[in-house]
This record gives sequence, structure tokens and C-alpha cells, in this order.
Amino acid sequence: MKVAPAVSLLLLTTGALLGLGLLIGSFKTDFSVIQRALFHYDAGSSVHYAIVHLRLPRLLLAFLTGGALAFSGYLLQAMVNNPLADPYLLGTASGAALGANLCLLGFLPIHFLGVYLPPVMAFAGALVVTFVVVSLAYQQGQVIPSQLLLAGVALSSLLTACLSLLTFLSESEGQSFRSIVAWTIGGFERAQWADLPALALVLLAVTLVFSFLHKQLTLLLLGESRAYHLGLRLGRLRWGILVAASLATATAVALSGPIGFVGLLVPHFVRAVFGVTSPPNILFTVWLGGNFALACDLIARLLLPPAGLPVGIVTSFVGIPFFLYLLWKKNYRFG
Amino acid sequence: MVLTDDLGRTVTLPEPPRRVMALAPSLTEMLFFVCDPGQVVAVTQNDNFPAAVNHKPVVNTYPMDFEGLLMQKPDLVFTTDGMTSLADAERIGKMGIPVYYQTYQTVEDVLTGILDIGRITGHADRATARVDSLRARLRAIEQRTKGLSRPRVLSITWTDPIYVYGKNTLLTDKLRLAGAANAVDSVFKVPYPALSREYILRLNPDVVLGGPLGRMDSTFFRLYPELKRTSAYRHRRVYRVTDDLNARPSPRVVEAVEELRSLIHPRSASQPGQR
Repeated sequence: MKVAPAVSLLLLTTGALLGLGLLIGSFKTDFSVIQRALFHYDAGSSVHYAIVHLRLPRLLLAFLTGGALAFSGYLLQAMVNNPLADPYLLGTASGAALGANLCLLGFLPIHFLGVYLPPVMAFAGALVVTFVVVSLAYQQGQVIPSQLLLAGVALSSLLTACLSLLTFLSESEGQSFRSIVAWTIGGFERAQWADLPALALVLLAVTLVFSFLHKQLTLLLLGESRAYHLGLRLGRLRWGILVAASLATATAVALSGPIGFVGLLVPHFVRAVFGVTSPPNILFTVWLGGNFALACDLIARLLLPPAGLPVGIVTSFVGIPFFLYLLWKKNYRFG
Repeated sequence: MVLTDDLGRTVTLPEPPRRVMALAPSLTEMLFFVCDPGQVVAVTQNDNFPAAVNHKPVVNTYPMDFEGLLMQKPDLVFTTDGMTSLADAERIGKMGIPVYYQTYQTVEDVLTGILDIGRITGHADRATARVDSLRARLRAIEQRTKGLSRPRVLSITWTDPIYVYGKNTLLTDKLRLAGAANAVDSVFKVPYPALSREYILRLNPDVVLGGPLGRMDSTFFRLYPELKRTSAYRHRRVYRVTDDLNARPSPRVVEAVEELRSLIHPRSASQPGQR
């Protein structure tokens, strides 16, 4: 697919999804109300407040999270040269889930100095586990991708077992399982304006940097040995990918929970549609990841109003059949 | 003795039960309210009222300790559909212990449940006398709130995500008796629905139940500052209710209604000698 029509299509889809997302909610609204809320905001109106302070940040969080996860998946798939890699390869999801659930299960306080701790602990858990996984894969001055893959899988399994044990031992009320499920599957209901700048800045920075490193990423897909002989400085690129992917994923997961399959599916879809070596792949991955998360959140809200299904369930149900269709068509190969 | 429980199941007993047990804290309270204490053979790990539960053997219900239950050998077990699955009930039945389910949508259902237990366990007169007394207390509470405005109340059961008492729960009837209304005006498929912040803003409840204002201010309303726009927060009408009273459809349901009334209509005088 060519770039200009692709950009037009993405713009159109994003516009439609944002428009629909702003339209749907508990208050009955039409486009004239949305227009007034956005351009002639009345602080006394609950409808205006809902549009500007609840719906809009939720839509933006969905877009940024989807973009960040898809971006991380794209980079990690290239780095370990494995089509099954996803943003949680480095143990980010299980680290975040364990961090948040330590609070939710009562092993750590829920609030500390007035700060709601689960997202903070999720961010800390994600980064700590990523650091341990990378350390395990670090040998003789290099990060070994196969070691990284195995260390990530092993540590994730261990942390999941720890979480199961803590859940079993927990004496907290049965209702805390609702929080645990919500944190394990992910969602955008808690979106607030104050949360968005950090994720937006991280995503913008890493997207810009890696858009310029497109050629190096393509070389990486050829395999380590060929990339090395073509002059690629593997070590530096791997560290760059690790830092960018773990930061983007940890920030997204801390705000939205570990939403599944976006980071696995979207990069494959982008490569299938635009080709493995297309220069704007990174940008399209972020954009499409954002649109995908927006669409899934919209479906989640429509399926089970008012709070919506946890969006991670929808991303799986929508994404996997699409992914299987891609495989069935057999016109796409990884790497 | 052939009985039909609230789920329409047929429960057959060879003779009136002498040894009984409940698998839900609310029903344990009912058994102690109606039966002789010696008739109640065991309690569950969640039971904490009345004090007599502390002197009884404990049978775990989560996970269900079938062997422990068999050891106590009750003639009949009472439970509710939210507490014991039908599969577990069938297994208990195969052990020779019949299971009797009760369900409640209104306070009157709870009182009828007490009368049923009295009839089944051979204490019909005692149950009738005690239920009559509870009904009189309820009538008195209703009388005190007659003619007063009915604030819309949102009762929160969990904060992240936000879960609340839906319209199809016992709370709706308790609020009616206490001179208020459940702010949740739609019936959801589940009794305790998850709500979005926008939905709660649309409901704009007059009163929020979930914790004392100070704690809710530093937890719930800090997590969801958008909800400070609700009438309940603006007028500082955020209250804590006693968890067990609020959650259990037990004989203490009248105390629960009285507590709701005292929070929602503090100026309507309490009946002398109560609370």
C-alpha cells in the first residue's frame, strides 16, 4: 500500500473513532454539544465536563497506550528476530501486575502520602523486572537475544506463580479480585489529563528517534550475522531498543494495565500491509496501534455499558481472528 | 418432610431437623435468632455474629471443606445462591446432607426467610413473635420519614473499578424503608454493576455510602476527582455504613435500615430506647 492513501485512511479512521468516542457515553450528546464543549466550554455543565474531562482523556490514553505497545512490539520483534515477541517479552506485564497487586491484595498500602500506589508500583515493578531480565541476558558486554527471550519467559512465569501464591494467601475480601482482574486485563476508565503528558512525551520521543533508525531496524531483521557484516553496531542499537521499549511499555502499563495482543498483532499487520522494509513502518505501527486500541475501547464501551468490558478482552477477540486471517492468506512472512 | 426452597428445589427430610448449620453469615445470624443455640452445630470462617459463633466448630466454605461439613453431620444446611454453587449443593446432598436455599429481594423476603427457618426447625411460634417485633420497628422507622424528601443514594462496594449496589439488590428496599431511594435507576444484568465516572456524574447522587468523608476524600475522591462535582460531595453527604449490617440480609436488617435512616435523615428523631 502506498503512503499517501495509507495516511489518508489512517487520518479518516482516527477522526471517525475520536468522533464516535466523544459521542458515546452516559449523557446523551450530539455533535453540536461536543462542538460547544470543545470550543465554548461551560464549566457549570456536567455534559461539557464529561466530554472534556472524561471522554477525551480516555480516548487519548487509549490511543497513546495502543501506540506505545505496538511500537514496543515492533522493536522487540526486530531485536530478537522472533515473530512471537511482544512488549511483555521483558517481563513488563507480570512485573507491573505483581507491583499493582501487592497493593490491591493488602501486602502494601493502597495509598501512601495521598498517592494512589497501584500505578506507581506497576511502573516500578515493570522496570525492576525488565532490569533483571536484561541483566540475565547480559553476557560479555552484550545482550544475547535468545537469552533475553528465555529469561523473559522464565521470569514472567515465576512472577505469575508468585502472584497466584499471594492471591491464594491473601486475606483481603473477595471483592479485591475485581481490582486484580481489572489490573491483569487492563482498561482506560481511570484516564485523567494529568496522566497523559508523560506517556505522550515518551511515545513522541521514541517514535521520532526510531523513525530515523529505520534502516538499522530493517538490517536487524536480516539476522544478527548479516546485520553485523553490513556494518550495523548491534550493541548500541539493542540497548536503544531495550530502553525505549521498556520505558514506553512500563509507562503505558502503569496507566492502563497490561493490555494484550496490541503489541503482538499490530506490527505484523503493518509489515503485511506496507512491507517489511517500508520506511514509515514505525510511524504507521504507532498510529495503527493507537487506532486499534481506540476501536477496541469503543467496542468494549458499547458491549457492556456503562463501565465497559475490560479492553484487554476485546483486543484479543478482535485482534486474534484478524491475525489468523493474515496467516491464512499466507502472503506475509516475518523478517 | 418435603420442602420447596426459594430456588424451587425440592428438599426432602426424613424428620424435622435437629442439627442445622448455615453456609452464609446472614443465615447463621438467622439460625441463632430463631433456633436453640445448641441446635446450630457449626459456623463458617466468615461468621462473627452473635458472640455464640465463637464457641462453635468452623467449617470452611472457601474452598468448601466437604469433609469438615460431613464431620459435623447436620440434618439440614441453609445457604443462599450467591454463597454456595449448585454443584457444591449437589455434592453436599450426595453426602446425605440436604441443602435449603433462600433468596431475598426485599426486607419482607428476609422476614419471610426467618419465619421459614422457624417453621422448618420447629420454632414457628418463636420466629413469628420475633418477626412481629421486627415489623413493628420497621413501621416505626417508616413513620418517622413519612413526608420527607427522598434523597438518591449511591452505595459503593468497591472503588477500583467502581462497583455499586444495583437497583435489584436488597439495599433498594432498605433505602425505601429508610426514606430514601437507590440512585441507580436502571436494572443491570448483575446485582452489583461496575459504573463509569460519567454514569455516576449523570446519576448525581445526593448521598454516597462507602466510607467516612475524610477517608473517602483522601482515597475515592482523590482517585476520581471528577466525582467531586456530585451533589453528595458538594454537600458533604458521604457516609460510612457498618459493613456487616449493610451486606447481610439477616435479622439485623432492621438495624441496617435504622442506620441508613439516621444517616440520611439525621433530624428525624430516633425512637426512644433504640440505638
